[in-house]
This record gives sequence, structure tokens and C-alpha cells, in this order.
Amino acid sequence: MDEKELQKMKVCDFDELPGPKSKEELDEMKMPFEEYCRKAFDVGNEFAKPEALKGVRWMSTTMYIFTPHSVANLAELGAECIKVEMPRMGDPMRHTSPFNEAYLYPLHDTRPMTGTGYGFLNANVNEYYITLDYHVPESKRVFYDLVKMSDGLTECYRHGTFDRWKQGYRTVAEMNPRFIYVWGGGFGYGPKIFGGSYDILGQAHAGLASITGTHEDFGGHATKCTNWCIDWYSGTQITVAIMAAMNWRLKTGLGTMIEFSQVQAATRMCGYTAPLYGRFGIVRQRWGNWDTQLCVHGIIMTGKSDFPDAKNPQEKFEARYVMVSAFGDADFKELCNIIKKPDLFSTYKSHKERVGAPAQIDIYKAIEDWAVDKTRSQVVKIFKEAGILSEPVLNDKEVYESEHFRQRGTVRWNDDPLFGDILIHSGYSAGLMSKTPRRHKWQWRPVGADNVKIYHELLGYPMSKIEELYNRNII
Amino acid sequence: MAKEKRNIEINSRADTLPLMGPDVRPWPVTPPPTPEWVMDNIYAKRKAQEFGKFLEDNLRLDYVFDKPEALQGLRVMCNGVWQISRLFGASLLSEQGAEVMHVEPPGGDPLRQLTPFGREEYMLKDNVTGEPCGLDFLHEFRNAKSITLNLETPEGRELYKSMATVMDVIIEAWPPGYMDSLGIGYRQLSKLNPRLIYCWVGERGQWGPGKDEVSKHGQWTLDPFSAAADSWIHNTGFPPDQCPRGGKGGDVMRSGAWLPSYVCGEQATVSILAALFWRDGVSGEGQFIEVTAAEALMDILDFDIGWYGFNASIKARTGAWDPNLNQYEWNPCKDGYMMIGGQTDRLWYRIGMCIERELPEFGRLIHEDPLLKEMGARNSLQGLIKTYSITTKWLRDINRIEAEQKLMEYEIAAGPVLYIDEVAEFPHFKYRPWVNTIETEFYGTVMYSESCGAFQHRTPARVKDLGRPLGHDNGEVYQKFLGIGPLKLRELKAKGVI
Repeated sequence: MDEKELQKMKVCDFDELPGPKSKEELDEMKMPFEEYCRKAFDVGNEFAKPEALKGVRWMSTTMYIFTPHSVANLAELGAECIKVEMPRMGDPMRHTSPFNEAYLYPLHDTRPMTGTGYGFLNANVNEYYITLDYHVPESKRVFYDLVKMSDGLTECYRHGTFDRWKQGYRTVAEMNPRFIYVWGGGFGYGPKIFGGSYDILGQAHAGLASITGTHEDFGGHATKCTNWCIDWYSGTQITVAIMAAMNWRLKTGLGTMIEFSQVQAATRMCGYTAPLYGRFGIVRQRWGNWDTQLCVHGIIMTGKSDFPDAKNPQEKFEARYVMVSAFGDADFKELCNIIKKPDLFSTYKSHKERVGAPAQIDIYKAIEDWAVDKTRSQVVKIFKEAGILSEPVLNDKEVYESEHFRQRGTVRWNDDPLFGDILIHSGYSAGLMSKTPRRHKWQWRPVGADNVKIYHELLGYPMSKIEELYNRNII
Repeated sequence: MAKEKRNIEINSRADTLPLMGPDVRPWPVTPPPTPEWVMDNIYAKRKAQEFGKFLEDNLRLDYVFDKPEALQGLRVMCNGVWQISRLFGASLLSEQGAEVMHVEPPGGDPLRQLTPFGREEYMLKDNVTGEPCGLDFLHEFRNAKSITLNLETPEGRELYKSMATVMDVIIEAWPPGYMDSLGIGYRQLSKLNPRLIYCWVGERGQWGPGKDEVSKHGQWTLDPFSAAADSWIHNTGFPPDQCPRGGKGGDVMRSGAWLPSYVCGEQATVSILAALFWRDGVSGEGQFIEVTAAEALMDILDFDIGWYGFNASIKARTGAWDPNLNQYEWNPCKDGYMMIGGQTDRLWYRIGMCIERELPEFGRLIHEDPLLKEMGARNSLQGLIKTYSITTKWLRDINRIEAEQKLMEYEIAAGPVLYIDEVAEFPHFKYRPWVNTIETEFYGTVMYSESCGAFQHRTPARVKDLGRPLGHDNGEVYQKFLGIGPLKLRELKAKGVI
């Protein structure tokens, strides 16, 4: 048979046939799933892969946490982000530190006494830090030059301030129609347009605080979430809006203006709270550590701490809380047998019976009574060995020591170019991506540290002009 | 407004149910301020009428349906049960115009059955099948279609594979490795559709020593296991020196909302859209994404883990106070809680001036304390205790509204802790509106939280419908994407494939 005849016999191309084509492909299809994931996300080699937002340039004329975080997300995904601060002052968040005790140096001319506080952590990573005083007329031209060279900006000033200063959406859109302009604040247009806002105002005003914590009937109070959760979470939703707008711009070449209010975002996470009130007039209350819709699915207190001899009170007294989940019939039955209350199962056979309020009070009390002479780890071990889902409530030290987060690269030390070893958490793994992973380059830089880099190397200002602007306190 | 006054005898809760709902007890109870009123009383006060008009003309919610959608043409399949994070992530995409299809097993997502305290009377029945649906599921199921598919059958898996070849995005929320073991995970589907963006969402991860588990009897790891694993719960709540332990307020505390799930869902959307940007703008390739609630929440856990790395501090609970800022807290007043914020000298002394008017010792004890004069030093624990004790002495005798009015005179960012009925009547919320009502296709009029991306100039996000009867779109979706007609569909249904 000659070559021509051979080719005639073929009906398809070998490479198009399904199935592995090489040893590597065969291995990939055969390897256990967990190994496949490790290979796909390849912790520790993030810098060998491309960045999703390479080439995007974003201005961050922001302060505090909420609006900065919307830009930090972009910076972690590979955008070049420029943080603009007031000359000699910087972002007020730099003053902020837990109990005034954790600050990072080096010293520099604007904050010689204190450095920058840990409250600033994670909100502005991977960015370039420049200064510009918008109040001075000469700064306008500098601002416009940046706008011409950027894809968008996020700002957080009182609504209308940038517009009055001729650097609002209406002005910049005419200079750069592709520009995506984000205003982030508390309220936006309407009766409270000029109202200031904080994370805590969002938690309080929008209903989140009213449903978090122990109810007064049990002796508790509305509880603040430990972190500035509404600031951060709203910031990420701004990033969603920015990314959607950039997607639209790929097709149309047009920018837009996004007005984002953090107080609204807090209500958005309250689930059934609004529809329950709207249809039935029921005002949702707080239900502490239990769940209004699932039982057993909550946190219980054990009688003994895991570390009674530890010095730190957080270990000595607090290592005694356990999350346990056994709402399914079989799981609940198992749990009742473990705590030696089989009658509890006969009383509350169906989930509908278990999840009622008096039933929950009854059930959790029985579990806590059983756990009164046990430590946290004993309780978790007993439940786990019986095949019930149960985990200790971990503190910061335990999270730091967690093998899980260490292997996933979630908690890791970074050799920061300015500050040396800094422990970072989740900079790489707020979302693992197999081909364009997030990455953490540096934590933050001093006020105005990149003035030369941006004004000279990017905008091409002569060094003498930069010096003049600096001496006149414009940058 | 209700049209007439009626006399009604109430003997049980059953008698009250027909008295509720938007037809009987309309929302809002008092109408919101009009744009004219806002123009004359708010914008004019700061000579911002022209700017205010620009905002209203370009951003008002009334105009969203006159504008195009940012993610028009994006096809998303969302496959899983239980996890709210997948619903929220998919909703953020569908609100921006993506076409979203939720794949549920023929029995439906158990989330559909969840209702507070098991009360079925607070579930809504759809007008096609009459099946009741829980409000959490309804509220997070936005602008989407529902199809059923039994992935445990070989035929179901083949249909799923065919669907995957025409999708841009798959969001998946099954236990770790389950889809892969069925031969329909990213590893296999990416061979069929290299442009596919595949995102798994869960609590702690699909790999690693602490990955998500399934109990012996098949129960999943759900919210708030994530927050227990990343120290969020440990760090939230009142300390035992403020309230007693043991369910009396002084314990670690989970969030009342499924906060970790929402945080996970939005970060999933960010990663998906970044992957899309890279695919469409640069490479043409899809990729594998994994977002967990534990890590997405740890990313935004302020400095907490980093602080341990700094000086081995383990963060403690501080109730409704913030350890970084003074003042920045809420404290009890006569009828609830009042939040007050302002830490820079300019704001901090203004708060004091307001309180001092009625409580002169505030000035003597707080303003004249040399320690409290320094902004950083005010954040010490003793600084917080002293400042807040005396602030609360002022608050305890007045109501929230009085405190708010007094503090507003000094232009302080302050506000009461509000419950949902108060939120829904808050003038600014009604004006935008952020709490809104919608006439759904299947469940009547429903109150919901408006999309946060809806206030945008060119391509605002929007909510078109909430909820869907299980499998309602089988006919349309399987015909549209796989060419399966009614006859074959009936056959598949009989075989238990859909």
C-alpha cells in the first residue's frame, strides 16, 4: 500500500481524537484530584505565570479601607495602580493601629515619630505611592496628565468635591472617553448625599448589626463584626463593577461612572431579612451562635479550655468553642447518641421540629451540658471520630500555625522590599487562579515614595520640575 | 396605603398572615422624599443643584432598563447545591447581564427548603407548581433559569458535557473532587472547551489537609465553618468582662448573615471576570479557579493574622468597640444602640463638644485628660474604656433619634443601629430605593435588597426576576443549547435523567 492509499483510509486526525496524547497528558488525567489541584495552582510559583490585568493602569485617590480595597484587588491581579496621597500627610489610615502598638518603619520626613500603623495592612498592596495636593491650581495639569495615561480611578471624596475641583467624571470623560470613574462612599445621590460614612455605620444603619449577636432576651447586645467587613466587602463589589465595566469597554471602547454606596451593600448580604419583612412584616432579630434555618448548626461552648496553663488569656480562657453541624436526620441521631440523649432524637425527629426556637434552646443546652467536663479538642475529636462535622473555633495563632493554610500558601511570610519579613494572609489566595494567579509584591511604601517613578519615568516631567513641585508642597 | 379601616379578630398567628404582605400593608408606609424636595433642601444647601441634577439624570434607578448590559452574551452555568456563595456569585454576573442557568439535581437544592425556625408559612409558593420556596434561596436566585440534571446517570453526564462546550463560565459547588470523579470536572471539561472558565466555591478548599469534608451521613461543610477556621468568629463578639459567657452575650460570635459566603461569592466573581478579561483580551484560554469563604474572608480580616506575625498578639474580642479607633463604636442608649465615629482631632473634639453641652464632666474628664489628647494614645484599651463609659452615661438617658439629631448638628458620622423595618423606612433607602419591591414572575410581589451595581452611568446592573420553580426552564434550555425537543425531554424525564 502506498502513502496515498494509506491517507485515504484515514477518517480523522490522530491529534483530534479524544484521550491523552502524551505521557504528561496521561499523567495529568491519571493523577489523584488533590494532586491535580496542587499542580494546577502550584503554590509558590505564582510569579512564573502571567497576570490577568497586565497593562491596566488605575488611579487610587482614596483613603481608609473601602475604596482602597477596590483597587488593591486590581493590583493583586496585575494592574499597575497608583495611590495618590496628600503631600506630607498621607492616608489617615496610616495612623491606625490596634491599641496603638503595631507600626512599621522606616522613618521618613512626613511621619518621623511613628511610621505607618497596621490598620493600613492589606488595603493598598502592590501599588505605587505618589503625592498630589488637589487644592492647588497647579496640580490640575498633573492630575489630567495622569488621567490621560490611565484606565480609570477610584475616589472617595464627599460627592461633588472632585466635580467642583474640575476633576470629576464629567471633566475627565471628555479628556479620556475610555476612562472608568468610580465614586465610592456611604450614600450617593439623594437625601443623605453629603452624609459621611464608615464601615461601622454600614453595619449599624443597614440592618447587619441588628441580626448579629446574642439577643437582649438572653442578655446580649448587637455585635460589631471584628473586621471592617462592610468596607472590605463593598470594596470587592466595586471591583466586580469595575471588571464588568472593563469587559464592556473591550467591546465598545467607552468608559463609565460607577456610584457605589457601602451602606447599601451591607443590606445586600442580609438574605431573607428584606423579603421576610416585606411579605410578612416579620422583623428579623438576632439568634446568637445558632442558625435560624438549620439545627444543629452552630457554635457551642465546652467546659474546659484546651490550654489551661497558657499565659495568653486568649489561649487560656478562649480555646473552648466548637462549631458543630448535624442537622440531617442521621447526623442528628448520631449526635444524640454521642451525648447520651437518645430521647432528644425521638422528641425532635424531623428537621422542622429541631429548627424551632424552643427546640434549639433545648438541644444546644443538652450538647453544652454534655461538653461541660470536656475540652474543645476532646469534643471535636469525639464528633469527628463518629463522622460528624465539627471544628474548633481557631484564634489568630492557630490560623498562623494551620498546616492547611500553610500548604495552600494562604498564610506566608513575604520578604518585603522595605520592611523585611511581613506575614501576609490571603494575598495570594482570595481566589486561586491556575493560569493568572493573584500575587503579593509589596505591602506598602512611604508617602510619595514613587513620585520620581511616576512623574518622571511615566509622565516625563524633568527632574527640576519635580523638585519645584515638591518644594512648593504640590507633590 | 390601605384603603379602609377594618375590625379584625385575631385568635392565632394564622389570622394575622392575611393581614400582611404588600397588598394589605404597603411599603413604604410613608412616601419617600420627592426629587424636588431633595433638590431644594439637600442639594441647594451646598449650592450643588447642578451637580445633583447631573447625578439624578444619569444614575437614577428608574433609568436602568433604558441602558445596555455590561456582560451581555456571557453564558454561565452554575452547578451545585447548598452553597449560598455560588448563588451570590452567579447573581453578581446575571445582574450585569450574563445569561445564568442553575443546574440542580432533580430533587432540587435543599436550600429551597430552608426557612427561619422551620416555619413553612414564611415560604412562598410559586404560581405554576405550588411548591413552597424559602426566602433566602428566592432572594439570591436572580435573573436566572433553573434546569434539572441527574449527574449520577451516564446520560446526565453526557448532557452536562455538551452544555459545558457552549458555556463561558461554570461555577461549581460540590464537595471536593466529586465532579472530577464523575469525569466532568475542570480537568475533563477543559479538554472539550479550552475557553472554559471554571470556578469552584466552598468553605475551606477542595485540596489541602483541612479541605471541605462530608459527614459520614453525607452532610456538607457549610457556612460558618469557614469563619471558624480563619479566626473571624474567635475575634468577633463581646468579651466576658462586658457580658457573661455561656449564651449570655460574652462568647465568640458568628455573623447573623451568611457573611463568609457572600464574601466568597463576590471574590469568585472578581476572579471569573479577571479570567474573562485575560481570555478575551489576551490569551483566548480559560482557566481553573478556586475560591473559598475561609480565605476570601481572611483576605479582608484587617491585620489580624499579620498582627500575630508582628508581635505574637492574638486578637481578642471587643464587642461593639473597635480597638483601632476612638471614637468608633456603638453603645447602648435608651431605646437601642447609637453608633458614633470620628477619630481625627477635628471630629473627635466635635463629638465631645456635642456631649459636653449636656454632660459638662465629659469635657473635664475626657478633653482635659492629657493621655487622650494624643490621637494614637486614645486607642489604648484604657482610653477606650474611659471615653465610652462617659459617652454612654450621656447616651443612656436619651433615645436614638435624639442622639442622632444632636450629633448631626455637629456634622458627625453617627447613626443608630437599625432593624429591617426601620431600614425599609429610612428616607434615603426609600428614595434610591435600596430596599425595593419587584413583581416576580412566579412568587408575587417580593421585597428585596437592590443590586449594588445598579447606580452606574452606561451599563447599570439590574434585577429582573427573583426565584424560579425547580426545572422550569428545562424545555427552553435543552432545546436551545442541545436541540432536545419535547419528546426526547419527556423520555429523559421518565428515565430520571432530568
